[in-house]
Amino acid sequence: MNQILLSIALFLRSSKRYRATKNFIRDIFHNTNNPYKKYVDITIIFLIITSVVILIYEVKTPVPEWLDIYDIYFVSFVFSIEYLLRLWVHNDISEHIVKEHKDAQFLQKDFSSLSILKEGLGEKVKYMFTPSALIDLLAIFPAYRPLRVLRIFVLFRVLKLLRYTKSINQFTEVLLNKKFELLTLLFLLFFVVMTAGIALYVMEEHQNPHIDSLFDAIYWALVTISTVGYGDISPVTTEGRSISILVIISGIAMISFATSVIVSAFSEKLSELKESRIIEQVNKSNSFLLICGYGQMTKMFLRHYADEYNNYIILENNLERMEEARKDGYEAIHEDASRYETLKKFNVEHCKITILCLTASDVENIYITLNAKSISKSIRVIARVNDSNMESKFAHAGTDHILMPNKVANTMIHTAITQPTMYKAIHAILTGKSIARIDEIRAYECEGIIGKSIEELAFKKAKLLFMGIQRRGEFLFNPLHSTKVESGDILLVMGRKISLEYFKSIYEKDC
Amino acid sequence: MKHQNILLFGYGNHGKFIAQGLLEDGFKIQIVEDDLKRYEEALTDGFKEVTHIDVTKDADLKALHPEKYTQLVCVMDDEHVNVFLTLSLRSLFDSCYILSISDSIHTTKKLQMAGANKVIDMYEVSANKIHNILNHPVATQLLEEFVIDKHGIGFREYIIPTGSFLNGYMTDDLDLSKYGVLFVGMIDEELGHHFIFITAGVNHKLDSGDTIVCIGEKKKLDMFEKLIKKEEN
Repeated sequence: MNQILLSIALFLRSSKRYRATKNFIRDIFHNTNNPYKKYVDITIIFLIITSVVILIYEVKTPVPEWLDIYDIYFVSFVFSIEYLLRLWVHNDISEHIVKEHKDAQFLQKDFSSLSILKEGLGEKVKYMFTPSALIDLLAIFPAYRPLRVLRIFVLFRVLKLLRYTKSINQFTEVLLNKKFELLTLLFLLFFVVMTAGIALYVMEEHQNPHIDSLFDAIYWALVTISTVGYGDISPVTTEGRSISILVIISGIAMISFATSVIVSAFSEKLSELKESRIIEQVNKSNSFLLICGYGQMTKMFLRHYADEYNNYIILENNLERMEEARKDGYEAIHEDASRYETLKKFNVEHCKITILCLTASDVENIYITLNAKSISKSIRVIARVNDSNMESKFAHAGTDHILMPNKVANTMIHTAITQPTMYKAIHAILTGKSIARIDEIRAYECEGIIGKSIEELAFKKAKLLFMGIQRRGEFLFNPLHSTKVESGDILLVMGRKISLEYFKSIYEKDC
Repeated sequence: MKHQNILLFGYGNHGKFIAQGLLEDGFKIQIVEDDLKRYEEALTDGFKEVTHIDVTKDADLKALHPEKYTQLVCVMDDEHVNVFLTLSLRSLFDSCYILSISDSIHTTKKLQMAGANKVIDMYEVSANKIHNILNHPVATQLLEEFVIDKHGIGFREYIIPTGSFLNGYMTDDLDLSKYGVLFVGMIDEELGHHFIFITAGVNHKLDSGDTIVCIGEKKKLDMFEKLIKKEEN
């Protein structure tokens, strides 16, 4: 038995497909940044809502048979599958067995797969008793028609929504932060209700025809303290009315206290909630920009180009500057981009992220670069460098593009002095004016041009100026007309945007 | 171009680089600095024409005779001084060509109001570069290398001489790639002093006196220069 379990565990561990599938499912359930998660969530929410609507509708009107089949078989089947998958991915018994086996081999001690299996199953059972797993399990039952009482479990289907609706989760989280205050309030409520209930019971049990038991008195106390006041039970003696006055006053005080606790909890968490929403929003896109620092450079960049970039966030560790960015109408959060936890919040695995390190400090920019590259090499970093002596350090840190404002400005001044007529042309090219855009055509993105010679391509027809080819890191300026385009080539052209689009449309089928 | 005299105000962050570049290009430059340390630094770096004056005093500025220079370049490190200097120069010498650098978003407008003919905004050019890097990283890098002449490829402008073979050519028909250079655009004197890119789709007839801008390898650009100066026959 021991050997069989070990063999199974070893087989599962060695199966790439098994591991990939399990990780994929786990990621869908737990990683909010997974691009497929939203589809799963929407499907489950749809099933919950339709199922609840059917159950409510069914109370007075018979539903068509196909709806019954949908609710009994389909919804319950999907929920069962979801429950089983969650149970499956909760922990990894095979991994545990293999690890323990290796440790046992290393220490040359006895090894029992069975005990680890028990341990693993124990963990699964533990999971089954967690509130969310219980809700999932009970949410499967309402579809069982013969036992009408089971329909009460429809409530669990509604509760199941908790798992899929972020705002409800956030509401719970906010309230959990005020656990101490709310528990104190609850205890106080319990104390007042019990005291008032007992007092009224003692005072009016023989005089008030509506109070037959202690439960009636406690019910009256709760209805009164909550300021609901049904009026079905009311005190008839002066003593009882005196207790009523005290209960009403403490009720008002308690409601005010509860309101202030909840409001303060939300106001404390408001900016955090807002920031997490911004991050969540940006994480849903395929690619986005993280702009670090809201200084002059960022302001200028956004003033000119904010409309062209839909997905960007400004990360500013200075609260005043962050607020200034928000006032200026940009999405900004109060975070330090040099912290690992900050960048980890972004969807590094599934999104193409570009970080613009535009703070005025070279040290900070280099730290942000290193932080980003330590999280993922695929993050593209464009960093501002103020001191030219730091250039090599930035290159060493892995910066993809170095931007030296002084150098850029100096080059432009030099051009303006030495070639004043041409300055306009170069300035137009560098600023990407519509008629003078220098663009690149990546051959692998436009396969129709691969294998064709330069003279065969319709540059003249599209009114594009072909300048050269970037091939294997080398630039071939004005190559021979017979040169054939290779798949890794990047063609450098100058022209209007519509010219480029027209050129691409000629080879559209393959682009 | 190389007979131009440049009066350069400031030998700081920008001034140093610009002075060095102009010297390499064979320009005659006069450096003016109000900071003694920087004045001495300029002398140490080998510049002979260096003056130490208080740039806020009109008398000192007049003594420099800025009107003799083709361009006045204001690149003082202190942006307040730079704006004040631009204003002083404009009020004293109305016809001078003044080029100034702006180190902050708000200074650009002030320099323009002060009378600078051209203002280069450090943040604006950098913002443009960021945008270009984000959209066309390879093209941006290559273009920058062309501008600074890194791989021997650069831009050059030519004035079409009388009798050149280019006379009478329509821009649409002009293919200079066989000469190893590419025709980027031109300044048509008949239509005003505007730069027209070849990619704008406007077909122009080239005449003597028009300026054309080409890009190519330095050697090929030199050869082409000789070629267009040749008489048609």
